[in-house]
Amino acid sequence: MHDTLVAFAKWLEGTPWGLMTRESIWAYPFVQLIHFTGLSIWLGTNFALDLRLLGVGSRRATAAQVAQELFTWNWIGFAIVLTGGFMLFSGIATAFIANIAFQWKLGLFVPLALTWHVVVQRKARDWGQTTDTPGIARFAAATEILLWVCVVTAAVQIPNH
Amino acid sequence: MWEALEQTGWIKTLGSTGWMYSTVSVTHYLTMFWFIGSIAVVDLRVMGVLARRRSLGELAEQLFPWAWIGFTFAVISGFLMFATDAGDWAPSKVFHIKLTLIAVSAIFAFIVQRGARKWAQDPEIPQAAKIVALISLLLWVATILSASEIPALEGLG
Repeated sequence: MHDTLVAFAKWLEGTPWGLMTRESIWAYPFVQLIHFTGLSIWLGTNFALDLRLLGVGSRRATAAQVAQELFTWNWIGFAIVLTGGFMLFSGIATAFIANIAFQWKLGLFVPLALTWHVVVQRKARDWGQTTDTPGIARFAAATEILLWVCVVTAAVQIPNH
Repeated sequence: MWEALEQTGWIKTLGSTGWMYSTVSVTHYLTMFWFIGSIAVVDLRVMGVLARRRSLGELAEQLFPWAWIGFTFAVISGFLMFATDAGDWAPSKVFHIKLTLIAVSAIFAFIVQRGARKWAQDPEIPQAAKIVALISLLLWVATILSASEIPALEGLG
């Protein structure tokens, strides 16, 4: 399993986009720009729903409405995050898979936060029918925010390892 | 002057204590994504490519408070990160560009926020408003790019 992963990482580093991200001085900031722009759209739309589920801020629209109207751009944001992240990863894939902070980020927190996000988004349609959201919705929203804080914390630690 | 800031007791502690500096970095990244995303949602709505059935006035009223709260936290945490290494950051040309872009982008965000109330009254959002929203969006993209260029061009951060 680990050998396959290392072989895959080595292959990624040799792909044209892997080489470009690693070796071209101008490419790296642009690839990071893709990742960060996607993250802004992704986290901006995520938190808008989570905060509505928590019942803080403007309550004129229901959580169900917020979930529905931001759905498309939420996943567009995610697609952009994934594109940029995959390119950043390809540049130094072998170093990333050996990095403990990256392992926490991608092995545990990202899958957990993503799964949680999908559940919250689906349930928001039931929880968000009325102006006041049930306790379970507030718990789920607070947990999602906490999970994304964990993801970013792990990401910030990557250069330290 | 910048060296003096860097040498201030609690700034030195912040810069040399791993968990403290990490907390400030995490705050900076998270609140930055949060506020840019919140502004981007309104810009995209003005441009007519997001949540067309929701009233623009209402959406702006929901998202702009988050945008400015996030912005405030990003500025405070950003200043703290700057302070720990102020002597190196202060003369950086790309950092000056970044700060200028932040100021201009924030002004545009304010224009969109003020305009949203007005544009929401119109039967259709004016063409000029859509252009202002697009500029606002592109300015934040340029701001992120300038931030990413600092380590690439000047080895800082």
